[in-house]
Amino acid sequence: MQNSFSSSKQLRLLFNSTCMNLKQHLSTSPVLCDKAYGGLRDQDRIFTNLYGRHDWHLKGAQARGDWYKTKEIIHKGADWIINEVKVSGLRGRGGAGFPSGLKWSFMNKPSEGRPKYLVVNADEGEPGTCKDREIMRHDPHKLVEGCLIAGKAMGARAAYIYIRGELYNEASNMQIAINEAYKAGLIGKNSCDSGYDFDIFMHRGAGAYICGEETALIESLEGKAGKPRLKPPFPADVGVFGCPTTVTNVETVAVAPEICRRGGAWFASFGRPKNHGTKLYCISGHVNNPCTVEEEMSIPLRELIERHAGGVRGGWDNLQGIIPGGSSVPVIPRSVCADVMMDFDALVEVNSGLGTAAVIVMDKSVDMILCIARLILFYKNESCGQCTPCREGTGWLNSMMYRFVEGKADPTEIDMMYELSKQIEGHTICALGDAAAWPVQGLIRHFRPEMEERIRRYREKNEQYASTMFS
Amino acid sequence: MLARALLRRVFLPRYNRSLSQSPRLLQVQEAPKLLSVWIDDKMVQVEPGTTVLQACAVAGVEIPRYCYHERLSVAGNCRMCLVEVEKSAKPIASCAMPVMEGMKVHPHSDISKRAREGVMEFLLVNHPLDCPICDQGGECDLQDQSMAFGSDRSRFVDNAFGGKRAVEDKEVGPLIKTIMTRCIHCTRCIRFAGEIAGVQDLGTTGRGGDMQVGTYVEKMFKSELSGNVIDLCPVGALTAKPYAFTYRSWELRRTESIDVLDGVGSNIVVNTRGEHVMRILPRLNESVNEEWISDKTRFAFDGLFAQRLTVPLARDATGQLRSCSWEDVLSRVSGKLVSIQNPANEVVGVAGALADCESMVCLKDLFNKLGSESLYSETPVHIGSCGNDLRSGYILRAGISALEEADLILLVGTNPRYEATLINARIRKGYIHNECEIAVIGPYMDLSYQHEHLGDDPAVFSGMIRGTHPFGKKFSRAAKPVIIVGEGVLARDDGAYINNQIYMLSRLSPVHGSDWKIVNYLHTTASQVGSMDIGYNTADLPDLSSTRLLYLLSADSVDVTRDQLPTDCLVVYQGHHGDKGAHIADVILPGAAYTEKEATYVNTEGRAQVTQAAVKPPGEARDDWSIIRALSEYAGHTLAYDNIDELRERMAEISPTLVNIDTKQDSCFHSLCVELLYRTSPKHKPYQTPISVKLNSLADFYMTDPISRASKTMAQCVQAVKQADKN
Amino acid sequence: MFSWWRTMQESGGLWNSIKIIYRRSDLRVGTLVGEDANGNKYYENLRYQFGRHRFVDYKLKEFDASQVPPEWHGWLHYMTDNPPTKVPPVPRKFHAEHQANWTGTTKDYVPYSTTRPRIQSWIPPTNKQ
Repeated sequence: MQNSFSSSKQLRLLFNSTCMNLKQHLSTSPVLCDKAYGGLRDQDRIFTNLYGRHDWHLKGAQARGDWYKTKEIIHKGADWIINEVKVSGLRGRGGAGFPSGLKWSFMNKPSEGRPKYLVVNADEGEPGTCKDREIMRHDPHKLVEGCLIAGKAMGARAAYIYIRGELYNEASNMQIAINEAYKAGLIGKNSCDSGYDFDIFMHRGAGAYICGEETALIESLEGKAGKPRLKPPFPADVGVFGCPTTVTNVETVAVAPEICRRGGAWFASFGRPKNHGTKLYCISGHVNNPCTVEEEMSIPLRELIERHAGGVRGGWDNLQGIIPGGSSVPVIPRSVCADVMMDFDALVEVNSGLGTAAVIVMDKSVDMILCIARLILFYKNESCGQCTPCREGTGWLNSMMYRFVEGKADPTEIDMMYELSKQIEGHTICALGDAAAWPVQGLIRHFRPEMEERIRRYREKNEQYASTMFS
Repeated sequence: MLARALLRRVFLPRYNRSLSQSPRLLQVQEAPKLLSVWIDDKMVQVEPGTTVLQACAVAGVEIPRYCYHERLSVAGNCRMCLVEVEKSAKPIASCAMPVMEGMKVHPHSDISKRAREGVMEFLLVNHPLDCPICDQGGECDLQDQSMAFGSDRSRFVDNAFGGKRAVEDKEVGPLIKTIMTRCIHCTRCIRFAGEIAGVQDLGTTGRGGDMQVGTYVEKMFKSELSGNVIDLCPVGALTAKPYAFTYRSWELRRTESIDVLDGVGSNIVVNTRGEHVMRILPRLNESVNEEWISDKTRFAFDGLFAQRLTVPLARDATGQLRSCSWEDVLSRVSGKLVSIQNPANEVVGVAGALADCESMVCLKDLFNKLGSESLYSETPVHIGSCGNDLRSGYILRAGISALEEADLILLVGTNPRYEATLINARIRKGYIHNECEIAVIGPYMDLSYQHEHLGDDPAVFSGMIRGTHPFGKKFSRAAKPVIIVGEGVLARDDGAYINNQIYMLSRLSPVHGSDWKIVNYLHTTASQVGSMDIGYNTADLPDLSSTRLLYLLSADSVDVTRDQLPTDCLVVYQGHHGDKGAHIADVILPGAAYTEKEATYVNTEGRAQVTQAAVKPPGEARDDWSIIRALSEYAGHTLAYDNIDELRERMAEISPTLVNIDTKQDSCFHSLCVELLYRTSPKHKPYQTPISVKLNSLADFYMTDPISRASKTMAQCVQAVKQADKN
Repeated sequence: MFSWWRTMQESGGLWNSIKIIYRRSDLRVGTLVGEDANGNKYYENLRYQFGRHRFVDYKLKEFDASQVPPEWHGWLHYMTDNPPTKVPPVPRKFHAEHQANWTGTTKDYVPYSTTRPRIQSWIPPTNKQ
């Protein structure tokens, strides 16, 4: 115990700044929150057929307001669309949260003859995430129309929807929707009678997590092995087939028509500054009613769970920790969950991230160390093997994590593992290295006493072993 | 030495002047705007597009790297070159990141150091610690860089729990030994195969920790440049199979030399231990071979240990070759020489593929003293009226390095992939980086780049010249066209006619007559250009029915049988291998191979280069020129030079290019050469026989000369290729 | 002690004695015990110091200790007091004929390399003419 005390002290020293941020946030957040977020009204929902209760075909979609005045939107021009998206404050919904208006405007450089492409990243593979598939299965016309409008904003010749291979029903619904749109003249030559030629192609992936990374997705789309490319050159310069390309998430594209129809200001009226809009949250794990729900950005996490997911199994006090944004963001303990808001900036302040807003709730029955070890196993399997820190580091982390599950380790190895994860983070070509490092960091940050306890127990049981292995 | 220096002074200024005054060099290029970059508070100015790693090199800071290689595309996957850059959240991969104005790089900061240490640690996690039995040990990047940039202690205790990764070795042919457990996945070999060698054989399979480098399905890595991946491999995953486990790198003595097994004259380093050649590695020469060598150059040296002529041999009364002393053989040959009444017709000399300039000069001087001019080069070259009088008429005038600038290359009767591997690598470089188009006249061939096949009919040229053939138009539009004429044309009886046609075609080009050199000749042997420079006859061999002494100087491909010679004809063979020449010889004078003598060779672009003696000639074998010098003394016509320096002075008298070492001199009088060609009509009309090439398959490539024919490794390669082709 | 004078006289005079000393660096006389097949003569003189009282006079000018055949070797080296003249050796079928050391002769053993030469010479084809 003496040992664990001193180590946690070290950790506190190491991450002094982190703690300070946290305190600052906690003290100032009531001031910032001049308005309560959450409780999205039905008329403000964008995805009105998220649960598949209505017809998802063209007719049903049109009845819900899709494809309404699309021609007019196209005729307003690329600059207008980009401006509306900028005004709306839409940030990429795929995890990184890059401002979409800015990203799309990169494509509006004068053309030098190469066609431009929009690539829609429908390779939804992040564990815990199930929002894009709902859109594609139940509201595919939102995406088709979004492709057209986003394509127009970028001056793209065509859109490729790279869909995860496992999503079979989604792919077939999507394809039917595309066919319907072609048949109705909404896309294709002279789409929506606007004089703009635009094609949409589906491409089914072969099921690799890494293909959700934009450059790896481009490689995969080109028919190569899905291995991330070096940036620069960025896809906006050299993307798919060597042409300027923008890769965006399904949700980002699908909300674009609604933004254009209702105006950017409407969208911006939701959420805190810089974190505007509505968002699909996927709540899974130990809640009474796991669901995917559209809510306002910046909704407090606790409210989100209690309002939509029926609360944590066994009550809020039974909560152990939450992974707020898909497997790749660090876990946050109950103390932090209590009053953190679900948006990009608030979660970064507590050393986590919004990611894909896949809220994974874990109650006290969970072996947190084993959970994180399982996540690392996933990243070890999904590492493309191209660059060293990720290829070798994930394997190493994995073998260490499973030792920690048993407690077959040394308390000093906790710090070493933290250092190792820092050695991976930021040193790789793509973000998979970071994604593999963060869960471990979150675990060590918040659940160190549990890890030390596990080691102590193992040593008590295996006195002999402890004296030989790490002396 | 002083005399030599003076001689150079006398002979060279004219060429040098013409070089320095060439308008191309005087042209003032528009200076690109330079970017200022700060490396560790030291400012350097570099061109836009330079990477951070290169900028650091300019500032004198070496960044460690594994995957990065100057001549390959950037992979950026080893992450060893991470450096801290101000205003960047993460350390950046310096090999891939282009510099930006005002960039501040800190290659020695704590962040940079920690990043390297981390990567180094990760690389060693799964790398076996078998350095003591690894052939790369001592010259291993992983060893060196872990010493320089790695951590000083290990904290990898997981070894006790799980062990390290183990990967099955791949079988990729008789040249490359793979120990795949050592692989650090830098992908240099994959990129080399895909980009330089043009063989898409290598690649990765699997992902994550299970990623493996290999040939997808087990097969031979079929490339004539495959050995270079051994040099490229920063660790010991790819090592040489033929001489595995025979040396440790620190035992070797290095001698810088020249390869003579083809006409390119690749620069090599001969590694020896004691009196034994252990391996041959490439030496950097940007204008010739860059840093690659062909597999024949690298692996054929084991032919130097077999079939060697180590003692003088002479036929006794029963007609059996028996060893005897130098005195016996020299007096026998000189006695015959002196006894010949009419040497002009009765003494014939032939210089072969491996003959060096020194011995060819000696032989020519000796024959001339005796009164004979019958000196022939082994491979006939039919190029028409200017013959070998004007150098510009028979060399690769443009130079090897200029080929990468060309935008259209026409290969006539040559398959450079096998006849001159590194010239082919240059053409491929132009094809990749300069979008050079390539067309071929000759048989169908498997080149390492896409090309247009224009048939093998010699009449195709007339169509081009008249403008009826579409290629003629394409040719006349090209800004930098190059025609490479190979032995498939030069050895033909109607070669002069085709050569004439080629010149007519070259006239269509707008750059005809400018500094750009369109027509080029590709010779496949190391001695060819040298022999023509010295003045050996390149016509077909004359009727040998009255010959009384035939002197074969390393001539092993010569098409002579005893039946063509009179019974009293003495055939003298001077060389180092018991090959075809030795079989018909009456007297054998054992000479030295290229690793055993200091000798000059002129490559196909007219660049004189010198081999260095790495080891001594075996047994009683001697330097070739000194054998002829000794013979001249026995024959009573002592040559006027006693050592190699005096001989070189004599060579400078014959042609200053022969002593202007490692310089490609601009050939002059080309217009005269062209005029001569136009004015004299060729003797032959074109034949209907299709244009062929000398070597057109990988199996042919491996064995072309006495050394490679004696080599066991090359024999294995031929076997392996035949087996692979069968499958 | 034998006086050197008597020894010289028994050895055949001054000149002979000098010749013997020149050959053997020694001059001794004794009783002839026997002669072996090669003509070497074996003597004994009990008046010499024990251990030096048996000696051999070699037949050959270029003598060598290995010229002593085994049957005389035992007696000469005091292993037995019975010379083969007194107790002839039992013939055995495995007895080989005694052979003196070949060192220095044309038949001597010269060590040779058991490895292949690193550079192999060309062997001219045998004559067909």
